[in-house]
Amino acid sequence: MIHGYFGKLLEVNLSTGEIKDTPLPEDDLLNFIGGRGLGMKMLWDRLEKPGVDPLSPENPLMFLPGTFSGFPIPSSSRMCVVTKSPRTSPVRASYEHSSTISYSNIGGFFAPELRYAGYDGIIVTGRSDKPVCIKIVDDKVEILDARDYWGMGTDQFDKTIIRDLGDRQFETLYIGPAGERQVPMACILHTAARAAGRGGTGCVMGSKNLKAIAVKGSGMPEVAHHKDYLELLEKIRRSFMEKDEGVMSWRNGGTANALTSSSKNGTQAVMNYSRGSFGEIEKIGTAANRKKVWKRDFACFSCQLACKKSGFAKGSYAVMVHDGPEYETGTMLGANLGISDLAGLHKLIHVADDYGVDIISIGNTMGFLMEAHEKGLVDTRYLDGIDLRWGNVEAALQMMHKICRREGIGDIACHGVKHLSREIGQGSGDFAIHVKGHELAAWNVPVNNDWWAVTYATSNRGACHLNGGTPQAQDEQALEDSMAACSFASNWYEGEVAYHHFLSAITGADWDEERFRTAGTRIFTLEKMFNYREGFTRADDTIPEKFFQHAFQYGDHKGAIVERGDFKNNMDDYYRKRGWDPTTSRPSDAVLQELGLAFTLKG
Amino acid sequence: MQDIVYGSAGLIVLGSFGVRYAFDEETRTIRAISVNFDRCAGCRTCETACSAYNHPARVNGQRVKGLGNPSLSNIRVYHFNPDVDVPSTCAICPDAPCIAACPVPPDLNTGRKALYRDEKLLTIKNDPQRCLACGECAKACATQRGGVIVPNEETNRPERMCTLCDGNPQCVEYCPFDALAYIEMPADRDLSGLAPEDIARDLIEKYYNIHIEEDRL
Repeated sequence: MIHGYFGKLLEVNLSTGEIKDTPLPEDDLLNFIGGRGLGMKMLWDRLEKPGVDPLSPENPLMFLPGTFSGFPIPSSSRMCVVTKSPRTSPVRASYEHSSTISYSNIGGFFAPELRYAGYDGIIVTGRSDKPVCIKIVDDKVEILDARDYWGMGTDQFDKTIIRDLGDRQFETLYIGPAGERQVPMACILHTAARAAGRGGTGCVMGSKNLKAIAVKGSGMPEVAHHKDYLELLEKIRRSFMEKDEGVMSWRNGGTANALTSSSKNGTQAVMNYSRGSFGEIEKIGTAANRKKVWKRDFACFSCQLACKKSGFAKGSYAVMVHDGPEYETGTMLGANLGISDLAGLHKLIHVADDYGVDIISIGNTMGFLMEAHEKGLVDTRYLDGIDLRWGNVEAALQMMHKICRREGIGDIACHGVKHLSREIGQGSGDFAIHVKGHELAAWNVPVNNDWWAVTYATSNRGACHLNGGTPQAQDEQALEDSMAACSFASNWYEGEVAYHHFLSAITGADWDEERFRTAGTRIFTLEKMFNYREGFTRADDTIPEKFFQHAFQYGDHKGAIVERGDFKNNMDDYYRKRGWDPTTSRPSDAVLQELGLAFTLKG
Repeated sequence: MQDIVYGSAGLIVLGSFGVRYAFDEETRTIRAISVNFDRCAGCRTCETACSAYNHPARVNGQRVKGLGNPSLSNIRVYHFNPDVDVPSTCAICPDAPCIAACPVPPDLNTGRKALYRDEKLLTIKNDPQRCLACGECAKACATQRGGVIVPNEETNRPERMCTLCDGNPQCVEYCPFDALAYIEMPADRDLSGLAPEDIARDLIEKYYNIHIEEDRL
């Protein structure tokens, strides 16, 4: 028998109100581990045919902690939200609703609490006819009326729901007004700042009329080899407690440290990816925030890195800061829009979080509109009178409101840059910075493009900076997302405290390095097969035209550009390493069989 | 160990049964878990460390640490919005309103009520054989102090009194942020014996300059 799991999921059908336990097949846990991997397997099983509308009741929305969630293994209690993406589409759509898988990772305290309640995950299906919340107290599960909460921003909701539940031990996940209005780029929040940010999971949640989930539990999963586990835990805790330079750097600035270093290296998204460096980056970097804004550091469950920062920004944009800027939010709403007004940046982040919108996608979209405006492809009338120009905080705020409320231009822009560039035409598709319809994140492509171009082109959820630029890196990321380990902490898990040792001690299965790596490949490859079945082929595994056409005109890395030939060679090489057909990008039958994915060959 | 606990001079001897506790009259200090609220990052490692020690497991007949279920922990970390985290644990109060509230008469030999102060580390313990499960101790803690002691949901007997883990408090041992310490401190130190909500309001005002009315957290 496999340990470390409860072997069951909570399944809630919001159309019928049915609440039940769904058993988890042991084979799926052995082959797909949990989190992202398990989510992919279940999505494959449940969506038997391609082309299902992601916003239909049929699309399951799954909240999946990993094998480690709930154990006090440092930085390892995250969760993946898995569903069919409302954001992506192929170049040539085979079905009206062809789209990729979407998986989105979130930290904090929800995943461990869900495990304490006795579940390895939650599957939400159907659609409620009125706004509801799901309340879980161990095995007592209720669907509650949420009409009074509909329309509430995430900050206010976060405070209100805890007050109404009357118990601070509840952990909550929720959408904001963007998710309620089914803004495609809406996300899911926790603690008013942490987010399952990417891939439109908040839109799917909104389509089900589900405002929030609250959970409180009293149990704990068991482990197979208790003493082995305790020994590993002791070692890894002590290694973090040495407080080496790495630990202290995370605590000091979190990913915001990369704002200045990435700008220096020419790898930052600046002014819709036209530049790799931002001249005013120091104004919004770690040092400026430490001095002017940040007051306290926050950690996720059992984490020693504490990369989340809170504080208060002063001035005309005075605002409570629940988090940020971290590298992504600081770049996408800062450097990418030419914005260096620190309080203004904090205000933008706060408003985006309050609506519950993916900051990467909305920052990318506003950068695209600024470039289209600068080039004269759209005028201020098209932009509903908003003077959307580089560095204009007020205009960015106005546009953000429009997008999150789906008003006027916002109702078009909320679909992201792929859709917008089709509306605007005039060659604007060349600088629409997305892959498969999902916007690129804050890492620019031309410098180190061997890594970044492959990373973005081959990500199974559409452009994703966390994907990894080699098969090995991608498979490792898939494993971390499945166990619930935080990639910021993975450097510490090496040698005798490598992840697979924890997995063996907890589950009782013999996880050696090879079996472990193969599981990562299996997960990534099944995702690929899901996308292939939806009609995504090699033509979709590409990067925006801009990177081939436009060389950096600014900074130390002036002239950086992606050569088409290099990109093609890197991609050919990638498919070869994967054992995938370079023409179609389809994994070969032999590879599928070897990975235990023969079931994808049926039908 | 006891030398350190009792400190220098002026030990108060309470009552007629020789029950002493770690309250130094001259320096007005006690020895318990001290929380540095500036440092806590809210990771809840303390909860799992406390629980693992105080709720051990048995493996092949050997007593080892448990898995650290946080809902069994004596120390609790409460999260608030605006963002502050408040670890809350038994203050081992020198004047112990919980013991004062216990209606069980002192035992003639030991001087102990059902809720009593243990001689070794001066922690507060409950004798389940004598406990009436009346909940008066928890009420006293909630109304006069931070409300750490709570009745068990099934038995109604008091829980979450700090054990100091036999002299090596595990919450202190494993706190990654050095926010917890086992030290002598003034009995009337700032924020001592307050409910987490009261401490949070104070911290929110201090860090974010946001004033929050009572009962509005």
